[in-house]
Amino acid sequence: MSGIVRGNVGFNDLKIPGMWSRKIGKDLYEVFIGPQHPGSGHMRIIIRIDGDIIVEAEPDMGYVHRTMEKLSEGRAWIKAIPLFERMAIHDACNVTLPYVRAVEKLLGIEAPLRAKYLRVLLCEINRIAAFLYGFGIFGVFLGHSTMYMWPFGDREVWVELAEWLTGARLTHTYPVFGGVRRDVPEGFTDSLRKAIRYMRRRLEDYRKIFVDNPVIRARLEDVGVIPRNLAIELGITGPNLRASGVRYDVRKNHPYEVYDELDFEIPVFQEGDAYARVHQRVQEILQSLRILEQVADWLDKHPREPVMHERFWKTAPPLYKKIFQETGRVKLGAVMAIMKIPQGKAYERGETARGEISYYVESDGGNKPYRIRIHSASARNALVYKYIVPGHRVMDLPAIYGSIDYFPPEADR
Amino acid sequence: MEPQEVVDLVRRVLGDMVRDVKIWKGNDYIEVEIDASSIREAAARMKEAGFDHVKDVTAVDYMKEGRFRIIYNLSSYNNFDLSYYIVGLAYDIPRDKPETVSLADIYTSAEFQEREVYEGFGIIFKGHPDLKPLLLSPPVAEQKPLRKDFIVREEPEIKVEKKR
Amino acid sequence: MSPIISDIIKIIIWPPLWQLIVLGLLLPLGVVVFIIWFERKTAARVQRRIGPYHVSPRIAGGLQLVADLMRYMFQEIIIPKTVDVAPFIMAPLIALILSILPVVAMPFTSNASYFPIGMRYSLIVALALITLSPIFVIVAGWASNNKFSLIGGMREAYLITAYELIVMVSFLSASAATGSFDLVKIVEAQAGGKWLGLLNPLALLAALIGVLLSTSGFPFEIPESEHEVVAGAYTEYSGLVYGINMGAAYLKRMVYSILIALVFLGGWRPYTPGPGFVSGYLIPSIVVFIKATILMMIFSFLRAVYGRYRLDQALDIAWKYIFPLAVAGFGLSLALAYLGIY
Repeated sequence: MSGIVRGNVGFNDLKIPGMWSRKIGKDLYEVFIGPQHPGSGHMRIIIRIDGDIIVEAEPDMGYVHRTMEKLSEGRAWIKAIPLFERMAIHDACNVTLPYVRAVEKLLGIEAPLRAKYLRVLLCEINRIAAFLYGFGIFGVFLGHSTMYMWPFGDREVWVELAEWLTGARLTHTYPVFGGVRRDVPEGFTDSLRKAIRYMRRRLEDYRKIFVDNPVIRARLEDVGVIPRNLAIELGITGPNLRASGVRYDVRKNHPYEVYDELDFEIPVFQEGDAYARVHQRVQEILQSLRILEQVADWLDKHPREPVMHERFWKTAPPLYKKIFQETGRVKLGAVMAIMKIPQGKAYERGETARGEISYYVESDGGNKPYRIRIHSASARNALVYKYIVPGHRVMDLPAIYGSIDYFPPEADR
Repeated sequence: MEPQEVVDLVRRVLGDMVRDVKIWKGNDYIEVEIDASSIREAAARMKEAGFDHVKDVTAVDYMKEGRFRIIYNLSSYNNFDLSYYIVGLAYDIPRDKPETVSLADIYTSAEFQEREVYEGFGIIFKGHPDLKPLLLSPPVAEQKPLRKDFIVREEPEIKVEKKR
Repeated sequence: MSPIISDIIKIIIWPPLWQLIVLGLLLPLGVVVFIIWFERKTAARVQRRIGPYHVSPRIAGGLQLVADLMRYMFQEIIIPKTVDVAPFIMAPLIALILSILPVVAMPFTSNASYFPIGMRYSLIVALALITLSPIFVIVAGWASNNKFSLIGGMREAYLITAYELIVMVSFLSASAATGSFDLVKIVEAQAGGKWLGLLNPLALLAALIGVLLSTSGFPFEIPESEHEVVAGAYTEYSGLVYGINMGAAYLKRMVYSILIALVFLGGWRPYTPGPGFVSGYLIPSIVVFIKATILMMIFSFLRAVYGRYRLDQALDIAWKYIFPLAVAGFGLSLALAYLGIY
């Protein structure tokens, strides 16, 4: 292939990365997919192909790396929350909650019960929205434009709910140390129940046009199989792990907030292929809807109470309390920005839509973090490219990419 | 399983390699300090004991004390009781000679994360199959940005003169 | 009327020229514009969107395509340094010409004075011409000197091996049934509602799927699959040349649809062409075009329903299921001929 030459300029004379062709072995052809490629997102996958078969694949990440670990060391504790949100803006609550909880652990406080329910509420809304986002991307990777448009349209339902609850469509900064920023607005639970009913109906439509579609089944069955042992060895996480037959969900294995009081199940599939991962996500959405129903019931039954820890109200001026009683909004004072966190280490994890996120937080007693180590779900799943993709055909790459629901900004942090 | 039981398990598995064990706040994070020289042996034994994957690999720069602390946070997918806990296998290396051994062949899940530690702190993991920067470009990685002596300067504020 | 003007009119409606320019290029182009609009609009309806709207809200965004065409025309044509310029430019143009050329072999009427090129083997000639254009897609991919183009071109080459035989066998089953290679005779044999597509649905189905494979329609949109090979062989193209590429694909599908309308759907029947230009040529060709347009609408609707197959799966389906189907259709045609239906 490298023999094509026109005039003086041949493949080999061209030194633009990604455009060159070099001989890397007999009958091997190296293709750089990304980062400006429509099918790769903000990452690059370097594949070496023999005919149509991928022999080697190497993920080349970091195109949307935003140095979050370093940046967080230079600013107040609370300012890291909106920063970490940028990892996965449509999954903001899930992504920041473990950090908030880790700092709460260091402070030795716990949020009030109502705040815990509200956190779970937004977490599950985010989770569903993130799953729908993933479905949309998956649909377009398989050339299924309807499955691209539908979930993106239905995601709007959940984004609007989140906006009503928090005031922002995506980057909510909802959980803060000691509680949450707002109580539920009037009439929220009714709309939530309506949305749950709507989503259940729509999942049936998805099944008809996408999940049971013969073309989609042909593309996904027995593609990108992650065997159980390999999934554990690679540390794959989230729905991908559960689709490989491992019953592991942080919400069950290390229950946080009120997940141990709620009644839900962890769906598990044994096949471990891309098709099982699609089913897995559909089931996860159903479980999230189940959780949301219980949260809505709880919120209806229980009266309003301050959604911040009492230590916050002690330090806050009386005016803030008045504002909260009138509007249901917590006004965060300057206290939050200069807050010092006791010395110590804390490790906290949470289940985001794409899997487990973990925060290692270390404080030296100052008003800034000493070290924060984040490891996100997509970063864990990135190993799939190196170990699962080889042996597949080129056209399987988008199917695998979509099925593990990889999200580059989250992986690159 | 109580945290103390996990500590007992770790002590039983690692024997006299354990230097110090500390249970941090929240009772679910157990930091086990060991010698730098015994890390491979310790990791292999921990994997046998059911800690089947690495939750994350990180390093902390204690600049004033002149050491790096490298931490492998281990947990389990298979064992429900163990999966509640994170066991941080920690050891110190001198700051002026940042070299250690890789665990990538024992824990495949550590492979990319060791690359991340390498690019952030400039710590060289000997025996790593493919040690190169993961997220950063090589010129940035050369500056070892996660070390404490690399100071991020905020962009200077641009003052716009108001037109009257 | 002065003799010059009447001469000019004679030249314009001289069947071969009229056929190629008006029925081969202009009318199909109009149909293609309608079909692209239709495709976007139905897909939007299925996907709960509005689709093209703002360019001309009163006619539901009908002028959107005209606007797009203008954009393509005034866009800069970028020719990368690394491409082989002559084939790079020529390939899409030749592909365009070759995709509409089969129209000159297709009669749209039984009135002998309006045959484009009267001949006894028009079906064979049309099929032969129709299968030439993919070669230039491969040439375009090769000349682009880009990996994705090359892979796209190779995919096209793979698919040729899959669909060519299917298309041939399924269309030639009409000859087996009617005992003629002449499209006029084939159409006339279907008079009285004896459409070949109704009596031999196997061959029709094989032909439809063959056309989908050939024009990379969903679910076989493999050579241009955006998420693996960017735009396949057309990755390096821009501006008008890219527009020509895309237009050529649609024109090719239109020409195939016309051929299916003639061979399987009774051509200009139930209308019987009379003498004169209007009743002998214009009306029958419009009937054919309406049938072809309905076929195009069916093809474009599939976009909203299906994803795309993998390359090896498409080849698998073509050789394992559709080719036997086409052969079965051929056999059925022979049975029809034996029974003396035609």
